[in-house]
Formats: sequence, structure tokens, C-alpha cells
Amino acid sequence: MKWDFASVLGNADALLVGLAGTLRIFAICLVLGLSLGLLVGLGRYARTRWLYWPATAFVEFFRNTPVLVQILWFYFAMPILLPFAISPLAAAALGISLNSAAFSAEIYRGGIQSIERGQWDGARALGMTFGQAMRRIILPQAIKRMMPALTNRAIEIFKMSTLASAVAYVELLQQAKLIASLNYNPIEAYTTVAVIFFVLLWPMVQLTYLLERRLKRDE
Amino acid sequence: MSYQWDFAPVVANAPLLAQGLVNTLKVTGTSLACGLVLGLGLALMRLSPRHWLGWPAGFVIEVFRTTPPLVQLFWFFFALPLIVGIEMTPFLAAAVTFSIQSAAFFAEVFRGGIVSIERGQWDGALAIGMSRRQALHRIVLPQAVKRMIPAFLERAIELMKTTTLVATIAYADLLFAANEIAQKTFRPLETFTVAALIYFVVITAFSVVARAFERRLAVSGESTVH
Repeated sequence: MKWDFASVLGNADALLVGLAGTLRIFAICLVLGLSLGLLVGLGRYARTRWLYWPATAFVEFFRNTPVLVQILWFYFAMPILLPFAISPLAAAALGISLNSAAFSAEIYRGGIQSIERGQWDGARALGMTFGQAMRRIILPQAIKRMMPALTNRAIEIFKMSTLASAVAYVELLQQAKLIASLNYNPIEAYTTVAVIFFVLLWPMVQLTYLLERRLKRDE
Repeated sequence: MSYQWDFAPVVANAPLLAQGLVNTLKVTGTSLACGLVLGLGLALMRLSPRHWLGWPAGFVIEVFRTTPPLVQLFWFFFALPLIVGIEMTPFLAAAVTFSIQSAAFFAEVFRGGIVSIERGQWDGALAIGMSRRQALHRIVLPQAVKRMIPAFLERAIELMKTTTLVATIAYADLLFAANEIAQKTFRPLETFTVAALIYFVVITAFSVVARAFERRLAVSGESTVH
């Protein structure tokens, strides 16, 4: 067979639109997922039962169901209960963000738990409140330990963004489908998109390795 | 909200869901088994001092860990058949994709496990006259595999969740069956909720078993490698 990448390059503008869509949903889910995850993680760490149980139920449910099922649920099932329609972006972003929140909550919880009791005692002895101790003493130290796991989560979110194509959100993979069906060039179209993802994700993966090595060296 | 829930149409289609669950388990099981064998092969290639063995293995591992699973699945389903000129079924595409993907993951687990076995174990085995292959088979791997079990179990659970992607290439797994039923009965809310609950129950059951297993290993002091 003859490779014909010209037919893909001819659709570079479509790929750019897809790339913009991928980056948009990635950014939304990264911010929402990691910040919501911190809240849920703190809830999982709480001793108050009415904070602990809902947070635990949330984590268990979203970790133990496939993210694609969540996306399709938000897209096809939830609108029935709502007075308004849900866009593909909203459904996909909801599914991916909540899923990432559940996973990052466990990272935060583990990170906070890994800080020695004495750090808490010291902060409290200086007259800090729980919130102050958490913000000024515990989290800054914990974040460092959590960095490799959090960048790894970011990579997972980036990969999960392709699932948005299942509800026809315009992102890279969706555009590859379009290009392949218009030009009958699935080999070139899907290979190009795979290469684009590899090029975008590779630096993030290397960063994770670097952070892991640095953490191992420091501790 | 005055929505009338009605699960009867979903219950009426229970056999379809059951068949979907069976197909989900089929893809998961096949990919897991092939992934383990392939993964061990990749790990040994990577640990080999020969570059022409190590580099291709490293390349496969990097590519499959660094690209989205859905892109890989589409590539194997839509692109590969045209390159090699074979008929591709959704099951075959899914099994191949998830096997190699799991293999790339397992390879790193195997490698970590083998590397974690102390040098002295190798030396001892070689000193009593074993070849490197014998030392690997009889001394190193049995110890390493025990340490890797938690990672394997975790991966099995991840894999079951990832297999839902096959619904996008029309393989009749649980999610695909749910989608069919939702369209047929006009009951997407009930159908997708039931599907989500089935996944939740099955995956939670697996993780409970996995955690119990890990605790037992931890008690015997062998769960050092995550």
C-alpha cells in the first residue's frame, strides 16, 4: 500500500480545531477535577461523619464505575431529570472531572496522611487553627510528595479527553474520524492523531518520571 | 420533578445485559491472560543487555503508555486491517489493543519485580550451577511474582473499566447492550443507571477481593512492591 499523508495535511485546519477542543476539555477537567478532588480528599480525611461518609461514597462510586459509563449517563440519562439539555462538552467534562476528583481525592488524602503527626502538633502549639495548619504547614509539604501522582493524573485526564468523542464532542479523535470518513484514509488519519497525542503526552510522562526520581532522591 | 421511573423495560431486557456482561468479562479475561504473557516477554527483552532486544521493547512500552487507549483501539480497528489486509472483528481489535496495552503496563511491573529481587538470589542460584534461565524460572520469578500480585489485581480492575471503550466499535459489551436497550425502550435514565450499578457491583466485588488478598500478602511480609 501507499501512504498518503497529504490527504491528512490538507485537513490540518480540522485537526487544529480538534486540538483546540482537546486542550479546552483537558484544561476544564484538570482544574475542576483536581480542585474538587482536594475538597473530597479533605472530606475523606475529616473526622466528622457527615463529611466523611458522603466523600467516601463519592470516591467509591466514581472509582468503581467506568468513566465512559459516567459520560454516557450524564449525556443520555441525566437530561431526563433536568429542565434543560446537556451539551456534549458539559457531559464529557462532568464525567471526566468527577472521575478525576475521586482519584485525586485519594492522592490528596494519602499525601496529607503521610505528613508526620508532629507537624500538626507543632502548628497547633503555635496557636494555628486546623485550617491554618492545613494551609500553611501540611499542604505545602504534602503537595511535594503528591506531585508525581498528580502529574500522572493529569496525563490520565488528557487521555480520557478522547472519550468525549463518544458523545460527538469535537476533539482530536473525533476530527480524525471525520477526516478518515471523508477521505477514506483511516491509516494516515489515525496514525497522525496517535503521533500528535504521543508528542503532546511524552513531555508530561518524562516530567512525571523526573518528579518521581527527584522525590526518591530527596526522601 | 414528576418523572415516572419505570424499570420494567430494563428488566425485560435482562438477558441482553447479562450477555453484555459475559462479553465484557470475555474481553477482560482474554486481554489479561495475553497481556501477562506478552508483558513478561517485553520485560525480559527490556532487561536483556542486547540493545536490539531492549530498544524495540522500550519503544512498544512507551508508545502504549503514552497514547490514549481509545486512539489505540481505533487504530487497530480501522487502520491495521487495511495495512495487513485482514478482516478485523470488534472482538479481535479489542483483544489485541488491550492485550498489548496491558502488556506494556505489566512489563514495567515485571521489570520492577525482577529488579527488586536482591542480587544475592541470582548469585546463589548461579553458584549452585544453575543457568541464568534456570535461576530466573526457579528462583527469581517465583519470588518476584508474589510481590507483583497487588499491581496485577489493580490492573485487572482498571482493565475491566477500560473495556467499555469497545462499545464505540460496536462490540456487544455491557455498555453497548445498555445503549441498545436505552434506544429501543426510550428509557435511557433507567437503563444507564442500571448499567452503572452493575459495573459498580462487579468492580467493587473485585476490589474487595483484591484488597483482602493484598492484606494477606502484607501479613506474610511480601507486599513490598506496589
